Amino acid sequence: MLESSADRTPYWQEPLPEDDELAQQVAHARDEHLLVDARPPAETNSLMFRAMTRTGPLFWLMVLGLGGLTFALFATWVIQMFYGLGITGLNRSVMWGPYIVNLVFFIGIGHAGTFISAALRLMRMDFRRPIARLAETVTLFGLALAALFPLIHLGRVWKVYYMFPIPTQRELWPNFRSPLLWDATAITAYLIGSTLFMYTALIPDLATARDHLTGWRKRLYGALSLGFRGTESEWSRLETLSNILSYIIIPVMFSVHTIVSWDFAMAIQPGWHSTIFGPFFIVGALFSGVAAVIIVMIIVRKAMRMGYFLREEHFNAMGIFLLILSLTWVYFYFNEYIVTWYGNLPAERAILQMLTTDASPLFYLMLFCNIIVPLGTLWSRRVRTSLPAMLVIAVFVQIGMYLERVLIVSGFLSRNELPFNWINYTPNWPEILITIGTFGFMALLYILWTRVVPIIPLWEVHEGQSRQRLPRIGRAIVPTRTEPH
Amino acid sequence: MAENNKWTMIVDLDKCTGCNACVVACHAENNVPIANEEEVIKGRGLHWIRIERYWEGEYPDIKARFLPVFCQQCGNAPCEPVCPTYASYHSDEEGLNGQIYARCVGTRYCGNNCPYKVRFFNWRAPEFDEPLNQQLNPDVPVRGAGVMEKCTFCIQRIQRVRQTPEGDYGPMTRDGDLQTACTQACPSDALIFGNLNDPESRVSRMLPNDRQARLLEHLGTEPAVYYLKGGTTNVGE
Amino acid sequence: MTSLTRRHFLKISAAGTATVILAGCDTDERWVELEPYVQPPLEQISGIASWYATSCRQCPAGCGIIARVMNGRAVKLEGNPEHPVNRGRLCARGQSELQVLYHPDRVTGAVFQAERGSREYEPVAWNEAINTLYERLNEAGSRVAVWLGSSTSDHLYDLFRRFTEAIGAPAPVRFDLYSAINGYSALSSASAQMLGRSTLPAYDLGRADMVFSFGADFVGSWLSTTGYSVEYGRFRSQPNNQRGYLVHFEPRMSPTGAAADQWLPIVPGSEALVAQAIARLIADGDTGSAERIERAAALAGEINLEAVPGATGVSMEQLERLARLFARAERPLALPGSPLTGQPNAAQAIAAVQMLNVIVGAVGQPGGMSLSSALPEGAPAAAPISTFADVQALLGRINGGEVDVLLVHGANPAYELPPGAGFTDALQNVGYVVSFNPLVDETAVWADAILPDRTPLESWGYNVVTPTFQGVPVISSQQPVVTPLYDVRPTGDVLLTVARGIPAAASALPWTDEVAYLQEVVAGLPAGAQGGDDAAVRWARFLQHGGWWTDAPTGEEAGAEAPEAAAPITASAAEFQGDAGEYPYFLHLYLSPLLGDGSGAAVPWLQGTPDPMTTVSWRTWVEINPRTAEELGLSHSDVVRITSPHGEIEASVYVYPAIRPDTIAIPFGQGHEAFGRYARNRGANPLRLVGMDAGEDAASFNWANLRVKIERTGSEKALARFESTIEPGEHAHLPLSYGAVHERIEEVEENVEMEQE
Repeated sequence: MLESSADRTPYWQEPLPEDDELAQQVAHARDEHLLVDARPPAETNSLMFRAMTRTGPLFWLMVLGLGGLTFALFATWVIQMFYGLGITGLNRSVMWGPYIVNLVFFIGIGHAGTFISAALRLMRMDFRRPIARLAETVTLFGLALAALFPLIHLGRVWKVYYMFPIPTQRELWPNFRSPLLWDATAITAYLIGSTLFMYTALIPDLATARDHLTGWRKRLYGALSLGFRGTESEWSRLETLSNILSYIIIPVMFSVHTIVSWDFAMAIQPGWHSTIFGPFFIVGALFSGVAAVIIVMIIVRKAMRMGYFLREEHFNAMGIFLLILSLTWVYFYFNEYIVTWYGNLPAERAILQMLTTDASPLFYLMLFCNIIVPLGTLWSRRVRTSLPAMLVIAVFVQIGMYLERVLIVSGFLSRNELPFNWINYTPNWPEILITIGTFGFMALLYILWTRVVPIIPLWEVHEGQSRQRLPRIGRAIVPTRTEPH
Repeated sequence: MAENNKWTMIVDLDKCTGCNACVVACHAENNVPIANEEEVIKGRGLHWIRIERYWEGEYPDIKARFLPVFCQQCGNAPCEPVCPTYASYHSDEEGLNGQIYARCVGTRYCGNNCPYKVRFFNWRAPEFDEPLNQQLNPDVPVRGAGVMEKCTFCIQRIQRVRQTPEGDYGPMTRDGDLQTACTQACPSDALIFGNLNDPESRVSRMLPNDRQARLLEHLGTEPAVYYLKGGTTNVGE
Repeated sequence: MTSLTRRHFLKISAAGTATVILAGCDTDERWVELEPYVQPPLEQISGIASWYATSCRQCPAGCGIIARVMNGRAVKLEGNPEHPVNRGRLCARGQSELQVLYHPDRVTGAVFQAERGSREYEPVAWNEAINTLYERLNEAGSRVAVWLGSSTSDHLYDLFRRFTEAIGAPAPVRFDLYSAINGYSALSSASAQMLGRSTLPAYDLGRADMVFSFGADFVGSWLSTTGYSVEYGRFRSQPNNQRGYLVHFEPRMSPTGAAADQWLPIVPGSEALVAQAIARLIADGDTGSAERIERAAALAGEINLEAVPGATGVSMEQLERLARLFARAERPLALPGSPLTGQPNAAQAIAAVQMLNVIVGAVGQPGGMSLSSALPEGAPAAAPISTFADVQALLGRINGGEVDVLLVHGANPAYELPPGAGFTDALQNVGYVVSFNPLVDETAVWADAILPDRTPLESWGYNVVTPTFQGVPVISSQQPVVTPLYDVRPTGDVLLTVARGIPAAASALPWTDEVAYLQEVVAGLPAGAQGGDDAAVRWARFLQHGGWWTDAPTGEEAGAEAPEAAAPITASAAEFQGDAGEYPYFLHLYLSPLLGDGSGAAVPWLQGTPDPMTTVSWRTWVEINPRTAEELGLSHSDVVRITSPHGEIEASVYVYPAIRPDTIAIPFGQGHEAFGRYARNRGANPLRLVGMDAGEDAASFNWANLRVKIERTGSEKALARFESTIEPGEHAHLPLSYGAVHERIEEVEENVEMEQE
């Protein structure tokens, strides 16, 4: 690949300056930054492949446990199909519950993936390089599981094909005026787009894996890498394709959560009927998505010993990102509620009253998780670079964002225009089991995935490292990036 | 198609006594199952027409107000566009919101989007202990689990009158030939049903009325149900 | 395809035939024509319905119904539009007679019970059952008692009366909780005293312009609810845009209280005092015609007006206003409600209220009060409702071992009598107890044999209607609308069969079956509105039109003559049972508008339909004012124990904002220990709080003068409330705000006041 001219020193063998002070600076910079801490590709590759192929007893124990949760998910679903949705806690006013919350939540956490790999890629943010695939994986599985929930939610899932635009002799087409079909279209487009996007970026790494591994993996990766050999023209095509897909997928990403928000905003349910829901939901999605990526980063770094790839600088950057998103989310939330409060419409007043009375534990916990926790801690670099602290904060944000959706979906539905029909919702065991089971299923898919594909995009790291230099300017070493274009 | 119908209901709140005759009549006519005690406690009471009772004031100056609420057969129905399968559709011919049970997949979006909360979901398969099932009206299907249902303005009666030879008066059925189960039962004559496009019908003669109001009219749903607020007394004139 | 040649036609035919043959090899499912979505299944109609007129027997009112029958199944009941009582309308209870017909727990044939109370029933052939009954009756001689309910068909009463007369036994007792609580016998004897004929009074509510209802919940559960609800609708929209004005006096707001323009929560038992005070104030005032003032002066007894506000809870200004409203009105009307009849001084209390009608000259006038229209010569008379004294006499006979055979039809004394009656214990003295009820009720549990009658929709019969409406005498006809579901025999036929073998009774009951008897009765009827010259046509029209009645009287004469002004009437407030210190709360009992006296509890439609005022279904509740509940630390769903001097029950609290703070209210209807799967072990029977005391005239037992105490049990049982269980908060928005209309009503009232000045 890049070692075409033999007379040049490979980028990972750049000599240290002789000056002690400068050498120290360089050593420090290498400590701090992944991209200037270049090692021979063979070394980093094997670091990755060793982690991929290692499956200890703990791993299998996890697979077993998560498999159990997955089983609970599907078993509950089957029971629900058999006995009807009556086994849930839904009622005649709150007809949408945790299933829709889960739909929104899992699509939401899927947003960070695209944003990190596509948007940050186009903005040439180098800290994304080792994180990109972690995040895209969250997107992929988040979306796939989210797509499960409209089905679980249905009263008659066996008739789901009525919603598909398939030609029948009844000459019936689904109703494209329904936001649910926009939703289905957007999710499908996004799922296809992000799968393609992810696969494109996987090809060089699959090729590397093909070249380094043996047995079934070699055959698998051989087939999947589509004969990628690393020629100049292949790289240039890959680059072009990635850029095109990035440009395509960003608007799709924005549209998906906007459309999800329209499921609510297009309804005349008080509290839902709001023009701000589109951007508000996108920010919320990114907020929970980034938090989800942080959780995954911490676990992957710990469990797969990826300390070389995932460094403090990455957690720091993600922490800042989370802080900004928290502020933006607060801005939207405040906007949404101040307008509702000032508008003082009877039904919406009832909703605000509900937030501070019947639902107050959830409401205040949500505010604590989404505002107090991130804003109170993430301003500190020490917190941002501490893995345990980041894990706790990210989990809090997840809880907060989940609660936000719970309040919006089943909370708001419990109040409506006719006070005779206000009914609070309490979940029953099926919703709880299915929700927990889905988190288990997500984790199961994720850990299996980390054993199948290189979860860190090796070529992206190598590419970044190759473009990084440490030139000396005066008495300082300044990490510098060279751009090919 | 010839002239369309516009089926309309008038609810005279001055006469409604909350007696629930309409509720039971509707259960009988439309094969609406009865929710058992546990289901009602869970908030799943199921009546296509319900009498909402509101308290106004405090003891001893307290009033109880009855408000019969059922599908308002909106001219601009929020439940219709959101249905992905056209199970909820608009019949321009009758001026009604139709609900095709066989087509419903149970997204319950229509139920959310109905501001009147008159759409009911079959949380479980309905049960009619034998031989109670022998009472079921053969003109109306029994809805299975997972399907939304709602008041239809007794569309089976409309169809029966229009499709039987002796009942076929063309699109414009003679006023009074057609009664929904609830209007027919109502002892105090608080419910009046008819075709608003028929200038001779009782509803046409009663509307417009200085007591008339439509429920949640500000939402722009254009309901076909007109409520007449309480009346005035001419004591001692 | 402009032209179709013969060749083409043959080709197409051949191809078509081949297709059909091929199709025949496949499952036919694929070839079913699929309906386009624009024709959903409920827009398809199926079959042709038959309609049969009959009459409703869910309560004694005798409304006419028409049953829609499809493929031999009764699928819907509707009001008979020709019927003078309900005029095409039908209440919730009437509608659910269908579920009585198709009740899953019906007794499907004659059964014997070897050990009473064991609930183990042995099916037995009808011949054997009837034979056993015959033998028992033959041995018993005159030691026979018959207990019928108020909803038992009148033809059965007449047959049983002939039977008991023939064998020398006392006349059948016709008594159940519905008639007891509604005070049928008390009202009838009041009519006898005042107007000389013992029948229920009839009120021309629809034409009255000012109605004072003293606890008469006429749109909920009073006498003839559907008839009075029809009248109420007319009352609200009278000709020339007139709208009647309704004042309702009741300690707890009933549906009628809710419908009223003014609801006055008076002290329980003080209805008579209010009526007297109004009479006195009319006499002392100068409002209304001189005639009215004169009559008021003659009739209004001495009363200490200053004590009235304290004793009734109605202020003096309010009383004066009410007196003016009543005296000024063109067609005022006062209704004596059921609580009056459950007080020890029932006769006086009813008289005090009826006095108001006499004062304003409402007796016999349009929009006034009259007696139920008398039937002409040759027609059967309305079967009387027994007084409580008759019941006590029967219980005395039973306890004294004077009854060998007890026949129970349409009543459920084991449930419908206060526990103090000791009915089930008394049955030990009876050799043979037979229940004719189609469901196993509490009485049937203690019977030796159940010979189930057909349910009303499978039965023949007639009902002489009281109270009547529009001044029209009515006999409602009853005929089977479906083939009987099971091998159950009409009680009339069973009785006629048995009587044939008993020498004393054979000649009194000569008919081969009950239809022969009915035909004879109908043949003897004078010409009615249905016409018909010969007996066969008359019989056919009797069935076709749902009964016999005359055309409405053309004149304004409503059928009763105003009585001569009699002696002044005084009635004191009711005396209450229980010490005010020990039992601090008044108990207000009322019939559930849906379950009635409990006879509606068997049916899921009525169980599952929300009560109008509380929206509770499926259980018994205790209504407590929010202030009282707060003082006692009670809230919704707390289970409380209610104790009266006579007994105790437990039920969940319903915090009810429209009841006096010193009163609690409990509906009748639940607390069954039998009566099918939907009724059994559900809620509590408030009759357990009632004793056996009766007033001087003993028309009814005293149920409306009880004091109780409330204790928290500590447990909780949520009630099935259809309404929202969420406190709406202070600023909750009420849909279709009524405020404007009320202001208008108040404005009118103010105008009235100003005119007075």
